[in-house]
Amino acid sequence: MASATDSRYGQKESSDQNFDYMFKILIIGNSSVGKTSFLFRYADDSFTPAFVSTVGIDFKVKTIYRNDKRIKLQIWDTAGQERYRTITTAYYRGAMGFILMYDITNEESFNAVQDWSTQIKTYSWDNAQVLLVGNKCDMEDERVVSSERGRQLADHLGFEFFEASAKDNINVKQTFERLVDVICEKMSESLDTADPAVTGAKQGPQLTDQQAPPHQDCAC
Amino acid sequence: MAQDASLSSFQESEWEVILPVLYRDRAVQNVEEERIRKLKTRLQQLRWRGAKRGGQEYAEKSCARCRRALGLLLNRGAVCQGCSHRVCSECRVFPGRTRVWRCTVCYEGRNVRIKTGEWFFEERAKKFPTEGRQETAGARLLQSYQELSKISVVPPTPPPLSESWCSSSPGRLQELSQPRGFNKSVENLFLSVTTHMKKLSKSQNDVTSDKQLLSTSPEQGTGRPERRSQSDTAINVTARKISAPDILQSLSPESPKRPANPVLKQENLLSHPTPGPLFSGGSRQGSLISINSACTEIGNFDNADVTGEVELALRYCFKTRSLEVCIKSCRNLAYGEERKKKCNPYVKTYLLPDRSSQGKRKTGVQKNTVDPTFQETLKYQVEPAQLATRRLQVSVWHLGTLARRVFLGEVIIPLASWDFGDSTTQAFRWHPLRAKAEKHEDSSSPNHGELTVRAKLVLPAGTSKLQEAQEGTGEEPSCDGQLCLVVLGAQNLPVRSDGTLNSFVKGCLTLPDKQKLRLKSPVLKKQACPQWKHSFVFNGVSPAQLRQSSLELTVWDQAAFGVSDRLLGEARLGSREDPAGGAGSGSHSKLQWQKVLSSPNLWTDMTLVLH
Ligand SMILES: Nc1nc2c(ncn2[C@@H]2O[C@H](COP(=O)(O)OP(=O)(O)OP(=O)(O)O)[C@@H](O)[C@H]2O)c(=O)[nH]1
Ligand SMILES: [Mg+2]
Ligand SMILES: [Zn+2]
Ligand SMILES: [Zn+2]
Repeated sequence: MASATDSRYGQKESSDQNFDYMFKILIIGNSSVGKTSFLFRYADDSFTPAFVSTVGIDFKVKTIYRNDKRIKLQIWDTAGQERYRTITTAYYRGAMGFILMYDITNEESFNAVQDWSTQIKTYSWDNAQVLLVGNKCDMEDERVVSSERGRQLADHLGFEFFEASAKDNINVKQTFERLVDVICEKMSESLDTADPAVTGAKQGPQLTDQQAPPHQDCAC
Repeated sequence: MAQDASLSSFQESEWEVILPVLYRDRAVQNVEEERIRKLKTRLQQLRWRGAKRGGQEYAEKSCARCRRALGLLLNRGAVCQGCSHRVCSECRVFPGRTRVWRCTVCYEGRNVRIKTGEWFFEERAKKFPTEGRQETAGARLLQSYQELSKISVVPPTPPPLSESWCSSSPGRLQELSQPRGFNKSVENLFLSVTTHMKKLSKSQNDVTSDKQLLSTSPEQGTGRPERRSQSDTAINVTARKISAPDILQSLSPESPKRPANPVLKQENLLSHPTPGPLFSGGSRQGSLISINSACTEIGNFDNADVTGEVELALRYCFKTRSLEVCIKSCRNLAYGEERKKKCNPYVKTYLLPDRSSQGKRKTGVQKNTVDPTFQETLKYQVEPAQLATRRLQVSVWHLGTLARRVFLGEVIIPLASWDFGDSTTQAFRWHPLRAKAEKHEDSSSPNHGELTVRAKLVLPAGTSKLQEAQEGTGEEPSCDGQLCLVVLGAQNLPVRSDGTLNSFVKGCLTLPDKQKLRLKSPVLKKQACPQWKHSFVFNGVSPAQLRQSSLELTVWDQAAFGVSDRLLGEARLGSREDPAGGAGSGSHSKLQWQKVLSSPNLWTDMTLVLH
C-alpha cells in the first residue's frame, strides 16, 4: 500500500562566514564634513562631488585582512543632521570604535568635535576607541583649521589624529586600519586582564610589531 | 521631550529610506548569530570530549582533554594555567610566538570570546549591565517600528493581518516587555511616530511627492540613490546570504590585491568553505559593483546597442568540484556612453537560475576600452549533478560615472549538454554578445522563486530493470518502490515586507487512481531563503504508477492563529501537463523528472522554478 513518511534530512551545514571576527564602527560628525564620502571611498573606492545628506543611518560591510585575520567590518555611516540624532545615538552602544570627523575648511564642524566626543562618552562603552579625522585636506586653500589645532584637540581628548581626504584618497584606508588595530589592542587587553595567567605574556592578536602609519597628517 | 518632536516629524519617505537599512542590518545580524552559534557548539563539543563518560572512572592520571592516560615519569602531563587541569603534551596550544601555553579548551575558549565579540559585550556590560548581547539598536528600532506601524506603513501587498498576528506571538511579546536597557522613551517615540505617520498617510497628499524625491531608484538623476549603499531591492539579496544552498558554495573570486599569505588564505578557505561576505568580497575589487548590481537585476540600467564578442573558456575541476569560467577578453564592444565614446567594461556571471548575489561573479573593471583584456577566472563551487540544471549567464557591463551601469550584451550557455570531460570544449572560444534574452520569460510567467530538490526512486534490487518497469503491462513488477524527495531549500521567494518568511513545503503525490499522498515539512521561521533539508518519502509506489502520477510541491508562508497560510509558489513534476507553467521551465523540469524515474537509486538534483 502506498504511504508517505516525513523524515529529517541531515546534511552538513554550510558555513558562510568566511571571516574571523566582526567589528562595528561608527562614523560621526557634523553634516557635510564628508562621512559618507569617506566611507564610499574606503568601501567602493568611489567619490562624488554631489552632496546628498544622509537620511538617518546607513552601513556598509567590508572584510579586510589584517594581522593574519579576516575582519569583517560593519561600518555605520550616521547622519550629521540634528533631526536624526535619536536614531544615530542608538547605535553608539554597539560600536567598538568611532571615526569622529570634522571638515578642515569648516570651523563650526571643528568646534562641534567636543560635543560629539561627549556623545560618545555618554552613549558608548568606556573603552570606545576614537580616531579624530580632519577631512577635506585636499582643500588647502580653504583651510581654516590648522593641523596643529587638530592634533592638539585630539591629544586633549585622548584620540588619535589623522588628516584625510575622501576626494583624493588620502589617509582613508590608513584611518580604518589604524582604528581596527587599536580595537584589536583593546581586545587583547580585555582578554588578558580576564585571563591573569597571560598578563605580561602577550599573545593572540597582538599588534606590537605594527609600525605607525606612514604619515598621519596630510602631506598636501 | 525635544527628541520626541524630532522623531515624530519623520516623514514616511524618510522611513522608506531607513527601513531597508534596518532590514539589511538584520540580515547581517542573522548571519552573525548563526556563526556565533556554531563557534559555541564547537567549543562545547571540545569540552565534552574531555568530560567524564558514564561508567568510566575518572582516572586521576589522565589528560583532562583527551582522556589519554598519563605516566608517572614519562609523559606526565602538565597543568594548564588557564583551567588548572592536567593535560598531555598533545593537548597544548602555543599561541603566537610565546612559550605560554593553554590547553585546547582554554585556547578555544579564548578564541571564541574573540570571534564572537564576547569580549566586547563583557566590557560593555561594565557600563551597561542590563544590555543584552544580541539585540542591536537596529533590531530594537525595527521591532518597535514594526510592532506599531504595520497597518499604516507596510504596503498592502502582503497580508497585513497575518503579519501583525505573527509579531504579537508570545515570544515577541516577551521580548518587547523586556527592553533590556533600551531607552524606553525611544520606544514610546516610535509609538508617536507611527501614530503620526498614520495620520500622514491618510491625509497628506504630498507624501507621494516626497516619495519620489527620496526614491531609491538609481535612474533618478540625483545622487541619492547611488549614495545609498543598497537599494530596497537588495534586502532580499542580503537576506539570501543567511542560508545559501550548500550545493552552490561560492569561492570568492581571486583578489590579487589582498595582502594575504597564500598558505593562510588556503587554510581559511578550507576551514570555511563558503562564499566571501556579500558586501565586501574582502577587498576593493568593485564592491561598488556588487552594491548596485541588485538594481541591474531588476532592470534599472541603461542599454547600449549590443555589438561584439566575449572570449572565454569553461572548465570543470572534478577534484575541487568547481566550475571555472576563464574570461579572457572582449572585442568590438559597444560604447557604454556612445556620445562620449566612453567604455569601462567588466564581465559579470551568474549560474542561472540562481540570480542571487551569492551566485554572482565579476571581473575587474577595465578603463576606456572597447577591446578589454581581463584574463580572470571566476569560480563556482557546484556539484557535478547540479551543473546539468544550470545555465551560465555571462554579461558585459559598462561602469559609468556615479556608478551608472550600461548593459553591453550577454551570452547564455546551457551547461546541460556541455561535455566537461572533453578537452576541446575547454579551449577559449569567442561568443557573440546578444541583447537581454530573458525579459519576456520573466514577465510572461511570474517567477516566484526557485525550489531546489533532490529526488531518487528507490527500487529493491532486481526490479530496477527499466524495461520491466516502463511497460507496466500485465503483472506489476513490484509495488514497493519508494520515491525519496529531499526538499533542500528555496530562494528568491516573495518575502514579506520585513524581508522574511515562516515557510514550509507541502508535497502532494497524486497517483493514477487519484489517491493523494500528502506530506509537509516543518516550518522554518524568519528566513528569506529557507533551507529545510527535509525529506519526503513516498512508499509503495511503482515506477509505472509514478509515470502517471504528478507531484505537486507548494511553498507556503505560515500564518498564525488560523489566518490562512499564504501560497508563495508551486512547482509540478510528473505526467500531467502544467497548464500555467512557462513552456521553457516546464519542459526542463519534465526532463529532470523523467531522469529521476529512469535512473532508479540515483539522486537527481533539480532546481524548480516556482509559479
Ligand atoms: N574637496 C573635498 N570634498 C569632499 C571631501 N569629502 C567630502 N566632500 C564633499 O563634501 C560634501 C559632503 O559630503 P558627505 O560625505 O555627503 O557628508 P556627510 O558627512 O556624510 O553629511 P551628512 O550625511 O549630512 O551627515 C559632498 O559634496 C562631498 O563631495 C573631501 O575629502 N574633499
Ligand atoms: Mg552622509
Ligand atoms: Zn590530551
Ligand atoms: Zn585549560
